[in-house]
Amino acid sequence: MTELLTGLLQETVSGIALGCIYALIALGFTLIIKATEVVNFAQGELMMVGAYVNFFFVTTFLSNQGEPTIGIYLLAFGSSIIFAVAFGWILDWVINRPLKDEPIFSVIMATISLSIILRALVGMIAGPLSLVPYSPFGNKILSVGGIVISVLDLSIIFSAIILVILFYYFFNQTKWGVAMQATSEDSVAAQLMGIPVKRVYGLVWIFSAIVATISGILLAPRMSLLDTSMGFLGLKAFPAAVLGGFGSITGAIAGGIIMGVIETISMGTLSFHFEWIKEMNDIIVWIVLIAVLMVKPDGLFGEAKVKKV
Amino acid sequence: MKKIIGIFIVIGLLVNGCGKGTSSPGITEDTILIGNIQDLSGPMKELGALLPSGSNLYFDYVNENGGVHGRQIKMIVEDHSYNPQKAVAAAKKLIEKDQVFCLYHVIGTSPCEALRPILAESGVPLIAPATQSGSMSDMSRQAADLIFHTDTGYDKQTRILVDNILSKNANAKIGIIYQDDDYGENVLKGTAIAEEKAGISVQREAYQRGATDFAGQVANLMKGGVTDVIIAGIVKEPIIVMKTAVAMGYAPNFYGTSPTMDHRISLAAGSAGEGFTSVNFASLWNSDAPSALLYNELCEKAGIPAKMKGMYHFYGFITAQVLVEGLERTGKFPTRTRLVNALETFKNWDGGAFPPITYNQNDHAGTESVILVQVTDGVQNVISDWIE
Repeated sequence: MTELLTGLLQETVSGIALGCIYALIALGFTLIIKATEVVNFAQGELMMVGAYVNFFFVTTFLSNQGEPTIGIYLLAFGSSIIFAVAFGWILDWVINRPLKDEPIFSVIMATISLSIILRALVGMIAGPLSLVPYSPFGNKILSVGGIVISVLDLSIIFSAIILVILFYYFFNQTKWGVAMQATSEDSVAAQLMGIPVKRVYGLVWIFSAIVATISGILLAPRMSLLDTSMGFLGLKAFPAAVLGGFGSITGAIAGGIIMGVIETISMGTLSFHFEWIKEMNDIIVWIVLIAVLMVKPDGLFGEAKVKKV
Repeated sequence: MKKIIGIFIVIGLLVNGCGKGTSSPGITEDTILIGNIQDLSGPMKELGALLPSGSNLYFDYVNENGGVHGRQIKMIVEDHSYNPQKAVAAAKKLIEKDQVFCLYHVIGTSPCEALRPILAESGVPLIAPATQSGSMSDMSRQAADLIFHTDTGYDKQTRILVDNILSKNANAKIGIIYQDDDYGENVLKGTAIAEEKAGISVQREAYQRGATDFAGQVANLMKGGVTDVIIAGIVKEPIIVMKTAVAMGYAPNFYGTSPTMDHRISLAAGSAGEGFTSVNFASLWNSDAPSALLYNELCEKAGIPAKMKGMYHFYGFITAQVLVEGLERTGKFPTRTRLVNALETFKNWDGGAFPPITYNQNDHAGTESVILVQVTDGVQNVISDWIE
């Protein structure tokens, strides 16, 4: 019995780490939806670009100096964030502004096209060979009462928590945050009230690119090798965002973590004790998603939008 | 006397004429055209860049030295994105439009399996399919007489690994993590044979292609008390599995099938990959095997970047050696049937990298052996002779 509990606890911890990965990507989705009501299907690719850019900076600053130092990691991190700001700003100009007020289908197609273009471009620039990403954490682990977690996973969990607190505070307590919420509610009314809607949109794409870059930097060493297929992880984070409630920051994190824990426990303890679960590991997350949506159509933390006629 | 000379001239002309008249598509006075179908845009596009580059390195060397019987080898590479239907379309294009002499080094079990009908219909041989699935040399299947495998199959590799583990520890509890597709199916075939032979039960854990998290599978192996884990993955999977095991405080012995031979595994896994033992169906690219020495010399001459060099690039190189040897044996007037017959004359042929290759009408497997390679202090070292 104790063994079963320890196993479950270990899987939950590993699942939370995996879930925080989904959560970080889902957070990127959520930020854009919250302010612009646009679903950015290229969120996974933004993350992949961030990971590649960080790799580029680390190797550039390293210039044959052996193993990277903490200073080099921090410098590369800072440079990647600056890149993310510029990248988000460009995307706002290229994707968001020209398609503002266009049918939602056009915007969706534009972000899907962006994802394909980004994958191809990175493949062309970086070459087809996978890269071995750098990690400041190596294979270090922490052990508490028989439950083990890697320092890398811990850093992912902490980053997710910090980013959620920051954005939660930003959206609810700052002027710009409230402006973003108002823009999301009704962009025309917001503009009439003096909110610079275009600047709000620009800012939200920049935030989203920053979150994606941070996720990419943290995820690359966990993915073992860096290649353009990293972007596909975005598709797995999509149900997490829906489960938590599209547009809810807390929901993105909760949805991600729930998905991660379900996936790990169903692959682990459940499959170990019930052979048939192995056959349905791939669909178990989707079954949970449908079940939740049947009870709460707006997701766990989503706000039901009531339209008065 | 004049009559006799006349008869000889006529016979000579006829033989010569017949030889030329029956020569296959893809053969001209100065060229042999071969077709290769790789994954250039799908999940294995990395290999799509490496394998043909390695093959061309050897073809260029042969061409510079006069070609095969005076003909230069030219290879057309098509893309199948690891999609069997696209592989069939690409093969049709190569066979019907480009009129290639033979197909060579087509990557992937499913794409190669999908080509069987078109091979049977056209009579085009497929040399060295780039997959270690044992099904490639199953002579009961369609077009098996036209397919010549060079690599020891996954089923045999797994059986050899299980034997090896049990020879070191008769009480070992073995587990296997396998890809849930035709690759894994072939691995499980070998597992079942090994289980029956040794009277043991191997714990099986599956994963979907493209999986990036293995916490569940590793936790199960841990619960099952598994002491030796075979990872039937490609490059990423063993790295993640071994890192996950470290992160869970689990330290079994790890083994891998031949696709896990990539030297980047030890680079990316770091200390977690220490002791990782994988099987390989050929000598190492950086060893002192004759092919490896020639390979490194030609890489240097051609200015091949260091990041390209490695197991997969070398794989393209050494299978090209097998094809060229087959073409040499085919003679001055090659036809597809003659190529098949020529390959079936291989008897313990030692090309300098593969274990001795033998083909005959009833056996197109080529080789049955592997070597064991272990990571020590981050470096791959060969730790065994050829094992059957």
